[in-house]
Amino acid sequence: MTAPLLTGTGITKDYGATPALRGVDLSVAEGEIVAVTGPSGCGKSTLLHCLAGILRADHGSVVFRDQNIGMWSEAARSRLRRSEFGVLFQFGQMVPELTAAENVALPLLLAGSGRREAREAALAWLDRFGVADVADQMPGAMSGGQQQRCAVARAMVTRPRVLFADEPTGALDQLNGEQVMQAIVRAVREEGTAVVLVTHEAPVAAYADREIVLRDGAVDPTGLGVGAP
Amino acid sequence: MRAATLIRLSTAGNRTDTLRTVLTAISAALATTAMLAAATVAAIRGGEPVDQPDGSNWLAPGAEHYTSPLLREPGLRLGVIFGLLLLTLPVLALAGQCIRLGAPARDRRLAAIRLAGATPGQAVLIAVAETIAASILGSAAGFGLYLAVRQALHAPGPDGRLRLPTDMFPTPMSLAVAVVAVPVLSGLIGLLLMRGVAVTPLGVVRRQRRHGPRPWPGLAIAVGIVLFNVPVWLSERMVLSSYVFGALMLLGTVLVMIGVVVGTGWISYTAGRLLHRFGRGPVTLLAGRRMMADPWNGSRTLGALLGAAVIGGAAMGYHALFVSQGRAEDQFGVLIGMPADPEHAAFYVNSARLVLVAVGVGVAVSAAGMLVALAESVVARRRTNAALTAAGTPGRALAGTLLWQTLAPLVPALGLAVVSGLVLVRSIYHEVTVGGGTTETCTDPAADLETCARTVVTDPVVTLPVPVPWEQLALLTGGTILAMTVVAGIGMLVLRSSTDLEEIRAA
Repeated sequence: MTAPLLTGTGITKDYGATPALRGVDLSVAEGEIVAVTGPSGCGKSTLLHCLAGILRADHGSVVFRDQNIGMWSEAARSRLRRSEFGVLFQFGQMVPELTAAENVALPLLLAGSGRREAREAALAWLDRFGVADVADQMPGAMSGGQQQRCAVARAMVTRPRVLFADEPTGALDQLNGEQVMQAIVRAVREEGTAVVLVTHEAPVAAYADREIVLRDGAVDPTGLGVGAP
Repeated sequence: MRAATLIRLSTAGNRTDTLRTVLTAISAALATTAMLAAATVAAIRGGEPVDQPDGSNWLAPGAEHYTSPLLREPGLRLGVIFGLLLLTLPVLALAGQCIRLGAPARDRRLAAIRLAGATPGQAVLIAVAETIAASILGSAAGFGLYLAVRQALHAPGPDGRLRLPTDMFPTPMSLAVAVVAVPVLSGLIGLLLMRGVAVTPLGVVRRQRRHGPRPWPGLAIAVGIVLFNVPVWLSERMVLSSYVFGALMLLGTVLVMIGVVVGTGWISYTAGRLLHRFGRGPVTLLAGRRMMADPWNGSRTLGALLGAAVIGGAAMGYHALFVSQGRAEDQFGVLIGMPADPEHAAFYVNSARLVLVAVGVGVAVSAAGMLVALAESVVARRRTNAALTAAGTPGRALAGTLLWQTLAPLVPALGLAVVSGLVLVRSIYHEVTVGGGTTETCTDPAADLETCARTVVTDPVVTLPVPVPWEQLALLTGGTILAMTVVAGIGMLVLRSSTDLEEIRAA
């Protein structure tokens, strides 16, 4: 068995008096796609945020490549997300004032790349996701599916080791959703990127190698996910 | 739609809508108070020279009970009216700025109203009605404030003289104009801002411009400067009523202010384009693109400040003029052996200083308005900023973007405003001349003036250049930029809280 790339152990997180996660364990291997499913409010997004270092768990640890990132400062976790992680949300991630190519190039520019180099990489990634023709368009002029493909290109442009996708097709229709998921899976398989995929849609969860089901902030031992009868 | 429904729908909303209504009302109240003060000064009569049949003239009575020459002398009263009316412009610009606050939430509300069956025209009417209602409330409050202040400050001295015209009341016509003007102007500004906006049941769509703003407002500045000079040129060739003189100068100044404020759209777009083209990092890329995407944001948020800066530039020009005039009179006095009256020059210098104090207040009001606008823009971008932060964008990059967005249009626009205001004055007065007249005197100083042999003596001429007040210009410009940097700094605190990753779930 491949050694885990990312391991969360005993992750606990409360929002005030409301418990969101209650000792969740989860590990992801290199290149593995893990779906986290469960009903609304069960803690899926919170778990993703804790694993990605967006939120700090109240208890437990998140280990990436033998480093407990839960102990890191916010700045260090930001650098990690910029370089080793990719983050993809349902909506609101494209900067409306930047063109598609500039949006995709942004993480590289933040990492210190030159503008020409970043643009070339961005164009290549847009091409991989079939949206090279909208490279110089603003997000407002693009369809929802095109925007989400650009967002995936932006999340992948730094060639992250782990992609965190929170309901990546939640704002799309079924056809567009399938196309985006196929594009994500093709890209991560080619790059060997691991994926933590939060979804409540069974067809989306079906793209994963493995499914973890959360209920009331804990892993459901029955493992009956969203596709279960 | 019934009036009651219109009022109900236009006043519905969340806390931001309430804040917008309150700020619009406060701006309207301040503008109305300033206009009423101007109308009160305009109602004063007295001090005008009245020609007599024997060729002599005397001053008309009516204003001698005021302690300040600013109220006693008709020419100076005109300046006071002029200054008070100019002060309403930054305040009106602030009202225009307030109308934009909470725009995303209002857009969603208007879309929902359209979804419920309102026509596009009704949706626009609801949006504008809110502004007009707030302005009417503000005007009423301004009128109340005027009456209260008038009553509170009415304190005749032991000799019965007054420091302020608290015994005067505006004429019914000017009173009506002062109270009605602000709601009407606010409504027009609201309509102007809704131009190119389509309220659909699915959301509010703003017309995208194919091109950036053009530099045509520069023409308004040039015409304004010419118009400001016209009455001086005309008065050298014909008799010109002081009101026509003042009206032409006011019109010229207003044109310059409009040119500067509207021209800031072009400045903002051009600065954004340059940043985008020549900037190296993501910060300048983001700032440049944001400035290009909404170049009018600069005009809206900086309008009040730039209006105050134009007045400030002109006041500095006058201050430098009065100081030079005083020096020339001193030198002339030494030459003819008759010292000049120091209080004469000091009076004008102090008047110009008073205007500069008012400009400082205007800048402070503008800074407060800008802070609100900045906080609003940060909150409106909360979701994007939170997503960027989650993806690892450092907070300093977003803060840097905010700083560039604030300062890149501000610095050139402020420079243009101050220089335009200064040029208004310097285009007329770039040097002062004292003396050069002739005096008929007795050849024997001891002889009787009625019967002596006379000679004509030509007075010496003292001509001094009016220097460019570089130090004051630097102080105004530097101080304003510093104030705005502080505002941007406070805006960064709002940015920090809006990108707090704990907030991402709410974003």
